[in-house]
Amino acid sequence: MRQLTVLYDPECGLCRRVREWLVEQPKYIELVFMAVKSEEALFRYPQLDHALTQKDVTVIGDDGGVYWGAKAWLMCLWALRQYREWSYRLSTPELLPTARRVVSMISQHRYRLEGLGKVFLGGS
Amino acid sequence: MNVVVTTYLVYLAISIGLTVWVAQTLFKNGRVFLVDAFHGNEPLADSVNHLLVVGFYLINLGYVSLALQMGNEISTTTQSIEALSWKVGLVLLVLGGMHFFNLLIFSRMRRRSVVRNAPPPVAPDHYTVTRGPQTCAS
Repeated sequence: MRQLTVLYDPECGLCRRVREWLVEQPKYIELVFMAVKSEEALFRYPQLDHALTQKDVTVIGDDGGVYWGAKAWLMCLWALRQYREWSYRLSTPELLPTARRVVSMISQHRYRLEGLGKVFLGGS
Repeated sequence: MNVVVTTYLVYLAISIGLTVWVAQTLFKNGRVFLVDAFHGNEPLADSVNHLLVVGFYLINLGYVSLALQMGNEISTTTQSIEALSWKVGLVLLVLGGMHFFNLLIFSRMRRRSVVRNAPPPVAPDHYTVTRGPQTCAS
């Protein structure tokens, strides 16, 4: 695997800020960002359930593997040099359900969580 | 030769001997780790191994040299042995610290190389058809 495509919601401030943070991190694997339901996304993944990609972050590998929600977050961590080990820690059977709950909570309230992103990831 | 000079010579012999022994142990057994960390690239592993051992010698012999001077007057054999045990004990602790520091470096190098080639943490939910980028994407 050499590249991961991240489908994110450009209308959510938290998502934009997480994206900015990801862009700055040193990586093992290239991350390509694409707005959900954008023309490009619809063209490149014709069979993908695009309604679902709007509900939570989706990552697609260059082999066509689709990772949704918590798995997508783990794949983003896995792509980063400094956080790859965290992706394994969080993917263990003990921690994955918790990661799922936290991620789904963040996704549901993402428009209200902008302030949180400001605190943890900086930016204006 | 008086007691002080004898004490110094014994101290140097023990300290240098210990340093050489620990350095040789590191040199011999650290190689395996490094060859694995550098994916079987033996020349590179040998080179890094050599550089680490040189650093190890410099720091330890530097410490041995700085710590040579014995503060209080030594006139009897008992005082000599006491001073020696104190000094050699310190050298051993510094050697031990350096040794574990080197082990830490070895294991970090190895872990980093393992992590770099590790597979994804989770399996995909499913697979989808992908198309190349749009040729005239704006």
